[in-house]
Amino acid sequence: MSFFDIFKKKKSKDVAKDRLMMMLAYERANTKIDNLDEMKKDLINVVKKYLNVKDIHIKTSSNQDIETLEVEILLQK
Amino acid sequence: MAKVITITSGKGGVGKSTTTANIATALALLGKKVIAVDFDIGLRNLDMILGLENRIVYDVVDVMENRCNLAQAIIKDKRTPNLHFLPASQTKDKTVLNKDKVEKLINELKKDFDYILIDSPAGIESGFEHSIFLADRALIVTTPEVSAIRDADRVIGIIDAKSKKAQLGEEVEKHIIINRIKPELVEKGEMLPIEDVLDLLSLPLIGIVPDDEDIVRSTNLGKPIALDEKSLVGEAFRRIARRIEGEEVPFIDIKAKRGFFSKLKGLFK
Repeated sequence: MSFFDIFKKKKSKDVAKDRLMMMLAYERANTKIDNLDEMKKDLINVVKKYLNVKDIHIKTSSNQDIETLEVEILLQK
Repeated sequence: MAKVITITSGKGGVGKSTTTANIATALALLGKKVIAVDFDIGLRNLDMILGLENRIVYDVVDVMENRCNLAQAIIKDKRTPNLHFLPASQTKDKTVLNKDKVEKLINELKKDFDYILIDSPAGIESGFEHSIFLADRALIVTTPEVSAIRDADRVIGIIDAKSKKAQLGEEVEKHIIINRIKPELVEKGEMLPIEDVLDLLSLPLIGIVPDDEDIVRSTNLGKPIALDEKSLVGEAFRRIARRIEGEEVPFIDIKAKRGFFSKLKGLFK
């Protein structure tokens, strides 16, 4: 990089990378589980054995290093 | 043991068929018995890249529908010993394939060949699913462009879900091939460099292929560039074949060609 580059705009490859990082993270989180509904039903059935379940919410998220699955189980009061 | 390798990409037009033709050729040059199978039903292409379009009598669907036997449909390349080809059919009906028929065909081919290379269609529909179903490994071809990388990522995410190997608890080996790298653009910062593409897709690399006019010529002639000993692109494909064979080979050096004037410009930059 030469001295004058400091005054130049951001390189287009960096913009491409940033945009892709955002998009891939978003799409990975949304496509990770193929049969989410099935898994939900199975989970409800298992937990039902021990507790009164009202509903289950599942959220996925991921970044470069880790992927997580958040399962929130709502119980009957 | 025969190995099934599926070449896929998600996005069309990134060089899947060219890659399939050249890796098949390069593996055959290494003395392996290879068959390239075109699974792009309805849009046959691999035949012309291999220069075998005039020798087709039967195709992959004819075999599956028992209109001929396998040996009748397989075309033996006269130029490259060990290289064989099974063409896609031109039928418009893409639903002709089904898992059982695909499995029967591939198992049959496994008895006769060291490598079965499947050229997958673009997209993530049934054609793709059939081509990945029995894969031992997948080579994902992408170019350093946003849409190709995005689609590659989508495909990578569903390979295991569609593969028999993964259903049995094993993993499909996955590698990236970055095609059509333009070193001049990379140096200017106007094209994603190799490291960034790998960073985004988080899979290991098995090959880098520069953008080269030789490819256009070789496609025109129907003569895979891997046969050209002097060509850098040909060398890129030959090295991929050696890596598939388990050899550790350095990646080719892709640098911008510099004329006198651009060097001069570089001095004043």
